[in-house]
Amino acid sequence: MKSELSISGNRLQITRVFEAPRRLVFRWWTQAEQLQQWSSCEAATKCEIAMDFRVGGSFTQKMHLLVNGEACEFSMTGTYDEIIEPERIVYHANFGHVVTRVIVEFYDEGKGTKVVLTHQGCPDEFFSKTVSQGSMESLDRLEALLASQAVAAPL
Amino acid sequence: MTGNRAALTINAMVNNSKKITAIFAALADPTRRRILVRLSNSGDRPVTALAKPFRISLPAISRHLSVLEKARLIQRRREGRVHVIHVRAAGFKPAQDWLAQCAAAWDFSFDKLDQLLRNEQRKEDQDEVRAKHQR
Repeated sequence: MKSELSISGNRLQITRVFEAPRRLVFRWWTQAEQLQQWSSCEAATKCEIAMDFRVGGSFTQKMHLLVNGEACEFSMTGTYDEIIEPERIVYHANFGHVVTRVIVEFYDEGKGTKVVLTHQGCPDEFFSKTVSQGSMESLDRLEALLASQAVAAPL
Repeated sequence: MTGNRAALTINAMVNNSKKITAIFAALADPTRRRILVRLSNSGDRPVTALAKPFRISLPAISRHLSVLEKARLIQRRREGRVHVIHVRAAGFKPAQDWLAQCAAAWDFSFDKLDQLLRNEQRKEDQDEVRAKHQR
């Protein structure tokens, strides 16, 4: 995994540095034609995105998957809550069963751009207290999963 | 990831959706989170002992406990007339897995974005060189 991952308090945070200036990186998040090219998963044969990139605007992402030779679909929807170009995008995503708030922040990092993506879906203290009490096993498991799995990309 | 694993993962996501909803809903309440933290710190507790530090009625605590029980985050056992509450660590797994899948999907997507950005940068650099030559 090339991204950096941290789970603390109520959030899951994924950090990645891209070797491109901020305005370019940001642009890849703002248009369906561009998002479709990268936001999907390994099992996806096609990814369709419809989006209205403005505060209050919504988006849908439909992925066509080929699983055991059988075609299936996975869809999700969301709404943009905040857009500050080229710094920050906030939206909430609805996966049918779970609604998460997603915050994407773009920072200059040398000549590149650091993207910090935060998922807030689980409440405070969930992971930091209750789960970590159990053992580090859960985190090891998480790392193993991350090393091996990729599934429907939550846009 | 092979097709099989993808199938398993996606099926798990769909099948677990009710469980995950119940877990996140159960954890959304601060009192219920404090109950879980307390149980994790001090081990199994009888209902009455568990209720003590919270300034709410026993029936209110019972309601919270039944939400946690339905989400399968705790288990209740009887010791004579006393109900003892126990945390089920395994109960958190569906929510953890769900987060893991989110993270894995992002990492996979970011690899693709990285490649696209590299191509774009290369093209821009070439255009710049060409423009210089033409000048």
